[in-house]
Amino acid sequence: MAWLETLVNGAFLGGLYGLLGIGLALVFGVMRLVNIAHGEFMVLAAYLAVILVSLFPQVHPLFVLIPVVLAAFAVGYLYQAVIMNRVARAPDPLAPLLLTFGVSIVLRNLMVEVFGADVRSLQLGELSRASLNLFGLSIGVMPLLTLVAAVLLFLLLQWALKRTQFGRIVRATADRRDIVRLFGVKPDRVYNYVMGLSLALGAIGGVLLAVRSSFTPFSGVERLLIAFEVVVLGGIGSFWGALLGGIVLGMAQLAGLKWDANAGLLYAHLLFFVMLLIRPAGLVASKA
Amino acid sequence: MTLLEVAGLDVFHGDLQAIFGLDFSVAEREAVALVGANGAGKTTFLRALVGLIDSKRGNVRFDGGDIAATPAESIARLGLCMVPEGRMLFDTLTVEENLLMGQVSQRSGSWNLRRVFDLFPALEERRNHMPRQLSGGQQQMVAIGRALMCNPRLLLCDEISLGLAPVMVEQIYRAFADIRTEGTALVLVEQDVKRAASASDRIYCLLKGRVSLAASAGDVSLNELTQAYFGM
Repeated sequence: MAWLETLVNGAFLGGLYGLLGIGLALVFGVMRLVNIAHGEFMVLAAYLAVILVSLFPQVHPLFVLIPVVLAAFAVGYLYQAVIMNRVARAPDPLAPLLLTFGVSIVLRNLMVEVFGADVRSLQLGELSRASLNLFGLSIGVMPLLTLVAAVLLFLLLQWALKRTQFGRIVRATADRRDIVRLFGVKPDRVYNYVMGLSLALGAIGGVLLAVRSSFTPFSGVERLLIAFEVVVLGGIGSFWGALLGGIVLGMAQLAGLKWDANAGLLYAHLLFFVMLLIRPAGLVASKA
Repeated sequence: MTLLEVAGLDVFHGDLQAIFGLDFSVAEREAVALVGANGAGKTTFLRALVGLIDSKRGNVRFDGGDIAATPAESIARLGLCMVPEGRMLFDTLTVEENLLMGQVSQRSGSWNLRRVFDLFPALEERRNHMPRQLSGGQQQMVAIGRALMCNPRLLLCDEISLGLAPVMVEQIYRAFADIRTEGTALVLVEQDVKRAASASDRIYCLLKGRVSLAASAGDVSLNELTQAYFGM
């Protein structure tokens, strides 16, 4: 029973990990760009949430997600429009990669400068401790809510990409960025929206993760690593694969912790390594 | 009334000049054939017209307005649309979604999904297929339908019969008659000179980036054309 509880909690954590990966997968799928700074942007969103919570203590902490997500979208839009689009057409794929790497370093050091290197976390009060009893399993309310939110967001993103004109334009731009111009689409602007969406999703993941575990300006790297593993484990380009990959990683992490309390993310990384050897194409090997 | 007027157009690929002082015009409702050997500059010329190639100089007027420096995404909204060489469909979109991409330019007019399916009934049965599951001819129909959904005033068609079965080519050229009754002007780029001439009012021949012949399609003799085509 205790093991089952661990696995269920691992699945809840995995929904959150899926959220960390989905933004990265979206940007890679549409622009063939690996955004190394994704983790730093998630941490930045967490800092913004902490600041807002301390400024408005009477507002429930979960409501700060709304302004944080909007801000993250705006930051993503500007990040792409002002910086990334300059190299998006570079014939050398290394140029955009290095640029995002540089941005991640700058952001990390700016955060140390502005917020200091102290460990922070986001306190939710009652809600973080609340739990309910289901079929004899003790289940945290907040982790359950997180998984539900992740699944809803995945469904919403899937719907937006498959069923709306915006989604058609995004997929068509991913296919042929020159040809969409013949139909009045500005590919650079599509990229701006996609990066905004990516960082907005990342911000939700970053804030919810800050409720679970503390962070510093240097936490971006860990978060990026999880996001990478989620995307590769699930199968590059597959959104549902990312959710599945996240859940598998979350279970491996919690099971590993139960086995060896000092293990941290070791067993999750080991599982990733083994999966990379036996199934390098990912759990869901398809294009979405 | 002249719809498209090109005067003294030079187009460059990097340091190399591909088009030299080209003069070209299309009247409203007219069909014009543009023929020439491989490498004569036909595709380069079309890509420059719709704004996909920026390094050019000269005069390009469409519907009275100067479009020489207009970016591709704005040119589509003016009603100058292209069926690109090699079809260039969106591979991860279904047939219907590919067609709907033509509507993004938001030009009003008589073309919609219904009319495109009436023109190419084969597409309606396959509306939820992916382009790769279609035959070459059907893919070409999707490419033409997608451009028609923009409600073009002038439709540029680049090598649409290349690599297709003769039956398919026949079927597609029959559709051009319907397209023209809507008042759409056409530019047909072809390597098949006879086919292009029979479907057009006038014919231009390109040779090494220059116009080697411009004549009314009815008057031109095969001899003249051969000479203009090969430069001999």
